[in-house]
Amino acid sequence: MELPATGQTTPLIHVAIVEDDLCFRLALTEAIASAGDIRVAGTAGTRAEGLQLLQGAPADVLLVDLGLPDGSGIDVIKAAVQQWSSCSVMVSTNFGDETHVIRSIEVGASGYLLKDSSPAKIVNEIRNLASGGSPISPIIARQVLARFRQIGGGGASPPVAPEETTQLLSAREKEVLELITKGFTANEIAKLMSLSPFTVRSFVRRIYSKLNVTSKAEAIYEARNQGILDG
Amino acid sequence: MKPGIRGFWTANSVRTSTLRSAVIDRAPRRFLKNLPALAALVFSVTLLVALGAFLSLAGSGIQRSGECLHLTKASWQEVETPGYSAPPASLDSHSLPQAWHATALPLTMHPLATAPAGPANLITWVRLGVDGPQAITASWALYGIRLKTDGPIAIYINGKLMYRAQQRGQQWNSLFTPLWVGLEPGVSDTPVREIVIRLEHSPAYPVAVSSLWLGPADALRGRYQVRQWLQEGLPAMLNAAFLAVGVFALFVWLKRCHEPGYLLFFNLSAIAFAAHLHYYVDLPIAHDWFGWLVLNSLCWLLTAVHFLLRLLHGRPLRWLSRGMIAAPLLIGVASLPLPWALPNSPPMLAAFYAVELLMAMTVGFVGGICTWRSSREGRLVVVAIAISVLLGMSDWALHNNVIGPEGWFLGAYTNGVTFTLLGLLMYRRYVNAIDEVEQVNAGLAQRLRLREVELEESHQRLREIEQRQLLSDERQRLMQDMHDGLGSTLISAIRSVEQGRMRDIEVSQLLKDCMDDLKLAIDSMEPVEADLLLLLATLRFRLEPRMESANVALMWNVQELPALSWLDPSSALNILRIVQECIANVLRHTRATVIRVATSAAADGVQVIIEDNGQGFDVAATLWRAGGRGLHNQQRRAQAVDGRVAWVSGETGTRFTLWLPLQRGNLAVM
Repeated sequence: MELPATGQTTPLIHVAIVEDDLCFRLALTEAIASAGDIRVAGTAGTRAEGLQLLQGAPADVLLVDLGLPDGSGIDVIKAAVQQWSSCSVMVSTNFGDETHVIRSIEVGASGYLLKDSSPAKIVNEIRNLASGGSPISPIIARQVLARFRQIGGGGASPPVAPEETTQLLSAREKEVLELITKGFTANEIAKLMSLSPFTVRSFVRRIYSKLNVTSKAEAIYEARNQGILDG
Repeated sequence: MKPGIRGFWTANSVRTSTLRSAVIDRAPRRFLKNLPALAALVFSVTLLVALGAFLSLAGSGIQRSGECLHLTKASWQEVETPGYSAPPASLDSHSLPQAWHATALPLTMHPLATAPAGPANLITWVRLGVDGPQAITASWALYGIRLKTDGPIAIYINGKLMYRAQQRGQQWNSLFTPLWVGLEPGVSDTPVREIVIRLEHSPAYPVAVSSLWLGPADALRGRYQVRQWLQEGLPAMLNAAFLAVGVFALFVWLKRCHEPGYLLFFNLSAIAFAAHLHYYVDLPIAHDWFGWLVLNSLCWLLTAVHFLLRLLHGRPLRWLSRGMIAAPLLIGVASLPLPWALPNSPPMLAAFYAVELLMAMTVGFVGGICTWRSSREGRLVVVAIAISVLLGMSDWALHNNVIGPEGWFLGAYTNGVTFTLLGLLMYRRYVNAIDEVEQVNAGLAQRLRLREVELEESHQRLREIEQRQLLSDERQRLMQDMHDGLGSTLISAIRSVEQGRMRDIEVSQLLKDCMDDLKLAIDSMEPVEADLLLLLATLRFRLEPRMESANVALMWNVQELPALSWLDPSSALNILRIVQECIANVLRHTRATVIRVATSAAADGVQVIIEDNGQGFDVAATLWRAGGRGLHNQQRRAQAVDGRVAWVSGETGTRFTLWLPLQRGNLAVM
């Protein structure tokens, strides 16, 4: 594993951690410590501490667990998107299951981390996220596709305003998602589509942010419908 | 009469009373809401009342009574005569026998019932002296309510014959038509001083003369017209209206033959019309077919009323019905106007009328007993019969001079009573029928709502049952999987750790296997939408880290596959476990460096092929050995989804094939 030398071309990646599971926090810090280009900028064990953490200097990557003792990590993700707009949020999950991951992406997370990943994989995922890529699994790809299909041609979905239509998937983005549902990895897709693996991962990031924007538009539409917001 | 036929004609007193209260509650509001309707009602009623007032007041001339002379004093005498004779053109009252008896008008004579065989006929003379001022310039008239005799009538004024009537004897309508003698100024320009009335009659006939009015024709005409209208015109109108409604009922019956009530209505109206026609026709009373009809139609009317009552109370009353048919037949035959039949002598007629009165009383009495409790409408009919009998008795009293000649023949109004009664019955039927239809409609709507609610509830229940079944299936499936896989692995791990037989790295590997098992179990619950590739993709995603750590390269040569509509969570888990087991076997036992996963579509199914470049194994021996539990599990799981597994193994590697059907006949296998 080649480690970029500290203080050289690649800048340090600052990671903030909101995690109540001490074992996993330990595993994380150990994995990060082994990589020279990543540093833990702060840790929090509860939702309150996590929100407090966001008052400080922004980190590059924020790792959030959803099941915090005093509330949901979703709130922390939402706050981070507001307060640390340059930070990439990553949700840590046991199974990478659709319910946890898609919900986090909809409120602004850019990736997820399986808690049983090896230290090398953890470090990889953090680097990947910091450089603008996002991970994805076949089932999540299928879910995302279904979401956009619903928005694009659904009868029950809100009418899409002109600035929101751009948030629909491009043909290549759709192709990437479809290949993922067929079991191809990012590297294989890169070869199939003559792209760099990084480009494939950044496509995924773009798809996630589109999902986030669309979800916000949907939420506003819903709120308008229910009279929560005026006009 | 069938029992079902009574429907329309049978009163439903309970429902009627509740309906009525509802109608009364609604009525005021409806009126207030509907002002135009109220206005129309007031206008129509006012119009009719005003018309009546105008015609009866302006036309009657009663306000000019002062100009008229009311003649109430007369003298009379009776003279025998051998037979009817024409009256002389002029008469000097002094030429008559001077045996005058002074009397007050109205005059009623009571012939002796036991008159000896006397003269063939009598002439009753009535003389009235008139004194008072008379203006001769205008038309005058002599008006009287009635002159009652069965022979010719002649009236002399100042000794001159001025009026003749009943030259051929009494006519049917004579008694109901008032007397009117016009005195034109040119014809007689002297004041009226003496009026002599000549009434020929048979000895037994009760003659009567009402008081007379002498005055200007305009002042008297109103009295005459009101009298005539009330005694003849109005009953005739009622009679005609009754018949018209009867014809209407007939047409209803033609459409609804199963309801005999309508036919009976028509029958009643037709008979009643016939029975009352004699009040208006000026035919002479004689022993002819018309007389026969008059006599008999009353009888038939009673029979019809009896059957109407029977329809209302619903009791057969067989003997009475037979009697009610037999009596008219007997009277009909006995009174036939044929030369060889019996003559219509007064005692005979009296007998007939007695029978008819008896019939009326029987019908009324029996009907009253039968309907008093059960049918409100039957009670109405009985009351109407009673009224009609009373009206008929007033006629009898007039005929026989029990009442003076200025009374009213109320019998003409029995028809009005019958008409009003039947109209009332029809009105009630009509309103009830409409209400009933409305209620039925409301009831239908209500029932529909109830059924909808029930349906919704039963759907809800079905959904719940389905949901419960689904949950139960799912629980069973997971239990089975946990029991066979995760559970047994964990137990053996615990045992090994406790006995210290396992190294940490082995424990860690075992737990990782457990984690993979768990992840796959969770993945199997994600909706894969019949997409086998997505399932395999998920499996790859989960096993990738293990293959990477085992330094095995994976070649992913999959092709698009047709959808497998039977791919539910439990089948998905079976397939995942089959493929997982296969890859685990390769990693565990074969020292392979490359695994190739491929898919292909065949005519009736799809294939998943997994090849490795390991050293291979003896398939038959492994399957036969007890240790080949993994392969047997794969076979069992493949069978559970109606699929097959096959191994081809050699020194250069193993090729595993999982065949799955496109369609599954029986989806309920697990």
